[in-house]
Amino acid sequence: MKPETLPADANDPIITVRHMTKHFADFEALHDINLDVHRSEVLCLIGRSGSGKSTLLRCLNFLEQYDGGEVRMGGQLIGWQDGPSPRKPLPAAALRDQRKNIGMVFQQFNLWPHYTALQNVVEALLRVKKLPRAEAQARAEAALQEVNLKEKADSYPASLSGGQQQRVAIARAIAMEPKLMLFDEPTSALDPELVGEVLNVMKKMAAEGMTMVVVTHEMGFAANVADRVAFLDSGRLVACVPPAEVFGTEPADPRIRAFLQTYRERNVV
Amino acid sequence: MELGLYLHYGPALVSGFAVTILCWIAGSLGGMVVGFAIASLQHWAGRPVRWLLQAYIEIIRGTPFMIQLFILYYGGPYVGVVLGPVEAGILSFVVYGSPYFSEIFRSGFESIPKGQIEAARCVGLGEGSIVRRIILPQMLVLITAPLTNFVIILSKETAILSVVTVPELLYQTQTMAAETFTYIEPYVALSLFYWLMVVATTWLGAKVEARVTRHLRRA
Ligand SMILES: Nc1ncnc2c1ncn2[C@@H]1O[C@H](COP(=O)(O)OP(=O)(O)OP(=O)(O)O)[C@@H](O)[C@H]1O
Ligand SMILES: [Mg+2]
Repeated sequence: MKPETLPADANDPIITVRHMTKHFADFEALHDINLDVHRSEVLCLIGRSGSGKSTLLRCLNFLEQYDGGEVRMGGQLIGWQDGPSPRKPLPAAALRDQRKNIGMVFQQFNLWPHYTALQNVVEALLRVKKLPRAEAQARAEAALQEVNLKEKADSYPASLSGGQQQRVAIARAIAMEPKLMLFDEPTSALDPELVGEVLNVMKKMAAEGMTMVVVTHEMGFAANVADRVAFLDSGRLVACVPPAEVFGTEPADPRIRAFLQTYRERNVV
Repeated sequence: MELGLYLHYGPALVSGFAVTILCWIAGSLGGMVVGFAIASLQHWAGRPVRWLLQAYIEIIRGTPFMIQLFILYYGGPYVGVVLGPVEAGILSFVVYGSPYFSEIFRSGFESIPKGQIEAARCVGLGEGSIVRRIILPQMLVLITAPLTNFVIILSKETAILSVVTVPELLYQTQTMAAETFTYIEPYVALSLFYWLMVVATTWLGAKVEARVTRHLRRA
């Protein structure tokens, strides 16, 4: 799914995670996470419910404050002021600047229901990118075109199907031209017949070279589209390997085997 | 009914009505602004501030308006706060109304799903934009009716201001009644004026509600 010619810096990590930990009170939700995501890479995060997939994803854009270790993007520490501990959170404006580069798509879409599809996409272009209205409008329309929803520009979310709402949410994120896209189970809230239209948009984005971290239970998508698959178990990153090593042969790690078994029983893989 | 009485007392009644309207509108608007500030602080400020505000809310909601008014007007001078009756009336309205308004705003804040706010943060919207563009327009849908209700309640509470000699509607009505030994004429006029305020508020509330629910109907 990758373009034939990768840029020369294709191997630069977009984001690096080192020794990251995250606690909720006394509970250790993430333990010593180390991870690089490279330019144009698609990384799928899998693992059973409660293993910490959402938490890991949300630490990457500081929706959750990780407490130990580092997350860096372009050398910049995400969320915290660089310095000796105890470190302080970045000022709000600096955090906003970092977040502009990281798009996020949620399981529940999280569209703003009082705005039309187009207004949902336009909002941040006007107020964050500060584009003139005409330009913001044009760019929002182009983003909706990307997700094949141009004709729904003036519809309110309530009148769109789940699949359409999720595609608007994707358009809202990509209109900001992020360097990295995070997806948290983007198809889990959808009726089965609507899953495909969202996955197809994501495949297209992957093919166009977007860097993506995708939490998903769609093992087919992970097997076919991911460059690497990361497996989380009880807050630990157990493996981060090409999909063939997870789905092709019998994976070495018994935890991964047990996890996949539950899918095989449902004839999903 | 002796309609001729109105010729003589009409101007006083109208001026009373004007004072009532002034206290009511200034008090309601002030109460809303302070209430909004309280609700916002309770949402974003640290624990000590939230705790203090909660105490304020409990105390004000736990005491009758008339007592608050007495304390402010008659007790104020002992601590160096000397206010005219109208100023005391307006200020006591702000004090009395703000906790109720803040509770209405708080329920509004809490009605917005957290995910929508996270989505806004993810595209880099600032807290100010989030409040103005995401939270307020949606919470107005929910709070317009309770806000309208409470403003109507306040319109009738203005009558209490007469006890500290604010020359408002009831004060003028009572003067007219005392001087002319009539009851029907003054109190019919009084009722008519209050009714006007309620009708106007209800009408305005409906207008606002229609405007803020546009997206729900055009779905
Ligand atoms: N805000 C929170 N407060 C306390 N504990 C939390 C919080 N968020 C998550 N947790 C806990 O952290 C662990 C990891 O949660 P997380 O949501 O990341 O799991 P997940 O892998 O995304 O699961 P799922 O597949 O169900 O979405 C769970 O045990 C969860 O109960
Ligand atoms: Mg999750």
